[in-house]
Amino acid sequence: MQFIFNLTIREIRSSWRRLLFFFLCIAIGVGSVVALRSLIQNLSLAVGTDARALLTADFEISSTNTFTPDDISRIESVINKSTLIEARNETITTAAMTRPSNATQEGLQFVELKGIEPPFPLVGTFNLSNGKPFDFKLLENKGAVVAPLLLEKLNLKIGDKIRIGEADFEIRATFDEEPGGQSGFRLGPRVFIEKKAFEETGLTRSGSRIRRRILYRTSDNPTPVVKELREALKGTILTVQNYRETQENMGEQFVRTENYLSLTGLLILVLGGIGVWNVARVFVEQKRKTVAVLKCLGADSRKVIFVYLLQILSLGLLGSLFGIVLAQLTMWFVGWRFGTELPEKMSYNLANSAVWQGMILGILISLLFSLLPLLQIRQIKPSLLLRDTNNQQMRRLDWTKTLFAIFTLGGILGIAVWQAGSWKVGTAFLVGLGVTSAILYVAAIILTKLLRQTKKFSSFSISQAVNSLYRPGNQTRIVLLAVGLGAFVVLAVQSLQANLVREFDFTRNEKLPNLFMVDIQRSQIEGVKQLTAEVTKEELNPVATVRTRIAMVDGVPIDYQQKEVRQNQGQIGREFAVTYRPKLEENETVIAGKWWDENPSKETEVSVVDDMARTLKVGIGSVITFDVLGRKINATVTSIRKIDVRNTRTVFMFVFRPGTLEIAPQTFALPIINKIPAVERARFQRRVIDAYPNVQIFDVQDILTTVTKLINNFVLAISFVGSFVMLTGILILIGSVSLTKSQRIYENAILKTLGAKRGSLFTILFTEYAILGLLAGLIGAFFATILSFAVTKYILEFDWEIDYGLILIGILVTAILVTLVGTLASFDVLFKKPLSILRSQ
Amino acid sequence: MIEIKNITKTVRSGADDLTILADVSLEIPDGQFVAITGASGSGKSTLLGLIAGLDAPSSGEILIDGENITVMNEDGLARLRSDKLGFVFQSFHLIPSLTAFENILIPLEIRGEKDAKERASNLLQEVDLTNRGHHYPNELSGGEQQRVAIARAFANNPKILLADEPTGNLDSRNGQHIFELMTALHDNKKTTLILVTHDQELAEKAERQIRLRDGKIISDKENSQG
Repeated sequence: MQFIFNLTIREIRSSWRRLLFFFLCIAIGVGSVVALRSLIQNLSLAVGTDARALLTADFEISSTNTFTPDDISRIESVINKSTLIEARNETITTAAMTRPSNATQEGLQFVELKGIEPPFPLVGTFNLSNGKPFDFKLLENKGAVVAPLLLEKLNLKIGDKIRIGEADFEIRATFDEEPGGQSGFRLGPRVFIEKKAFEETGLTRSGSRIRRRILYRTSDNPTPVVKELREALKGTILTVQNYRETQENMGEQFVRTENYLSLTGLLILVLGGIGVWNVARVFVEQKRKTVAVLKCLGADSRKVIFVYLLQILSLGLLGSLFGIVLAQLTMWFVGWRFGTELPEKMSYNLANSAVWQGMILGILISLLFSLLPLLQIRQIKPSLLLRDTNNQQMRRLDWTKTLFAIFTLGGILGIAVWQAGSWKVGTAFLVGLGVTSAILYVAAIILTKLLRQTKKFSSFSISQAVNSLYRPGNQTRIVLLAVGLGAFVVLAVQSLQANLVREFDFTRNEKLPNLFMVDIQRSQIEGVKQLTAEVTKEELNPVATVRTRIAMVDGVPIDYQQKEVRQNQGQIGREFAVTYRPKLEENETVIAGKWWDENPSKETEVSVVDDMARTLKVGIGSVITFDVLGRKINATVTSIRKIDVRNTRTVFMFVFRPGTLEIAPQTFALPIINKIPAVERARFQRRVIDAYPNVQIFDVQDILTTVTKLINNFVLAISFVGSFVMLTGILILIGSVSLTKSQRIYENAILKTLGAKRGSLFTILFTEYAILGLLAGLIGAFFATILSFAVTKYILEFDWEIDYGLILIGILVTAILVTLVGTLASFDVLFKKPLSILRSQ
Repeated sequence: MIEIKNITKTVRSGADDLTILADVSLEIPDGQFVAITGASGSGKSTLLGLIAGLDAPSSGEILIDGENITVMNEDGLARLRSDKLGFVFQSFHLIPSLTAFENILIPLEIRGEKDAKERASNLLQEVDLTNRGHHYPNELSGGEQQRVAIARAFANNPKILLADEPTGNLDSRNGQHIFELMTALHDNKKTTLILVTHDQELAEKAERQIRLRDGKIISDKENSQG
């Protein structure tokens, strides 16, 4: 053991430079996994996975309608006999426009309005900006407690009044953190008012999107009460939410996201593993004589393998540690670069579990990928010290190697499954990676073969450079695979981004509204139209909207108390805005069934968008029962539509045939297409709200800016990860250069003695890497284009456009990068004196 | 005692079998200094390699102290080399990543010797390289490298020292020095010394000289000088 330990230390001392790339490959892979995992874990902590605090209760019953006496009696039948209930309150929330009450003061702001009643909050703490706890007295007699952002946006101070709907509220305090307020996307700053004052704003009358909640705090696990409530509320559209279930769902979602993202890290690590395999392979080749000497001196194969295994494991451990340092640096970078877009409370330290996983992964990958090359040590015969036979036997596959190869594959599969947290995803990852690598590798073989057949190079340097790509022990294919894979990932992401950005470039959509008004009452529509026409001078087409929920599909009730429906709230359980009209819009096409004629009909017909039809599993002839403020309407599906979202003004999942909904309570939406200059736009919005306080105005440009920013950040994040793949590829390239350096030095020495000038040698070197880079770029760009096409066309389902500029730049950048790195890494070779080299051989 | 019984060694050379050693038999008693000579390709290095268990014969047996080494596996042979054999090569074969001192230390550490460092120091002194112990092989001259190799070969007090053209890569002065060092150690430690050489002058100094031609022993005689 002493021998193994001593020799390991001595070997590391002399070989660490050669194994530096091994070390860096592991470090970058581990760094990626640790950084990605930490990022997601910290993000989930920052947005809060404490479902009870987010819910501000143990469970809640919510509805978009007012609770009917029947609802209340059903609820009370369960609550009154429960001994678990400790406290109860009600809240009512909506989005609304607000402005300073002082008419001379400019400004208009979207806010999230919340009407509350004591005791509030049931769970969590509510502290004001001045450090004092929230006191309900602040809200009495039309007081408001607001987020500081509102004061900033409207240029107000405490004591000033704001107008919300038809009522004025005095700002009494601001708060820094509200209970349950950490999560989610916000339309605007939060404003708290008294629940009973909420009615006075008039917003409840106007059909605005309002959510009412009854919240409960319990003395113990609320699950039994929630179960009973769900039973009692069957057939209603009320939803009951238990913090324990929410907690589980949120936890699962974050874990899944974390696992999937860490697969990207694993990709880099496996690529690093290929680097490790390459380094270990060449390392063993170079150590043949040393191994033979050791065997000659009496060391058996097992001892020698242990020496090198220990060496590799030590470097794997050190590489992993360095990777952790890199991950921390990356986290700080993310904090510095994206801090403003990430939650304020986000931590940029590494998560402990991620660090441990990274360490274990680093060591396992080092071990798995170096095991097969190390096994070649067994076949090194000490007799090579007497007669250096070409040790072909080393590379031959025998039973032990086959077994270990299966073990290695199994190990990598195990790691993928462990990291993905799913057998299916882990296996798919490995198979996907295997197939991609195999395709790239085969492409590399074909390209190099083709190049070799093109023998007619007039220049000596170029033909030498091409020959160099085939020198014994050449790393051409492995470099093409590694760098090609890096270029492939980066270019595929970039190409997808180009197509995505084009698809979401709403400026190409001439019909896209500039402003969008909603919640206009029937009595207000003429007035709003007149006011708008004065400013925009365009023909206005108000769209009637009716709020509904789906109650039944083909007579089968949608059970809102059921788990899947609750989880699919966003898709089918939500409230839908539907409309009715005689004609198809220009951007719509009927793909099944037939659009109705323009005459109103007493038969209720509905047209469904294809995606929604799939979700609901409905076809032509199906009957969907809609719940419009408690009234049930049976509508027969007579057509399925497809909408070209790029050329749209509005997207309605359900469109009714005229004749049924006209009498239902409805509001109007008004898209405004013409551009209005910014100053005039603000003034116009203010005029509308002054006259019609319940109307909500969305500035589409603001929303688009936010969406574009989101896409760009997303792409930047993926490109950032992609660049790590590229970096690993480049590292493998540098590693390969240094591994074949001694051979290159020897060849150059011979060429020099034969009269080659340094300039010619430089040209050979330069050309060799330029060819290598060009091939890698070609392979990467070709497959990236195919992937981008397939994903755009078949997964995202929109038109794909080839971007020649991107492909050209991709190939050129890869070629330049490889040429630069390869040439620089081998540059010193040109300056070696031939005599000493030839003598030492 | 080394007993070589009817060994033959053939290797594939293209489509043909090439016989390197043909039915060679001989016995070497303990403590004897034997020189094996012959032209290039006569099979002398192969014979040496077979005695060391570095390669296996195509047929025949080799017994060292009564143990048949031709049936041993790699681990058994490694143990044999560690316990009984020392080897000196024409091109030294020092481990380039280790210092002179560490190269000598290796066989001792493989055997798990407790006083390995002390013994390595003594050996370094015996070959007169005390001041060069911390140097790497590429920092030593050819003669110095071969002295390190000899110290390494004697480190585990082998019963048999096998030397393959140990002076072949050295100038005559250094060659002479190395030869004297080996014979002195052979005399002091009563080691069996089998020396493969081209140099007739050196061969004459051995106790016994075996000449090979085309894989066969053509003469086996006791030297009067040796």
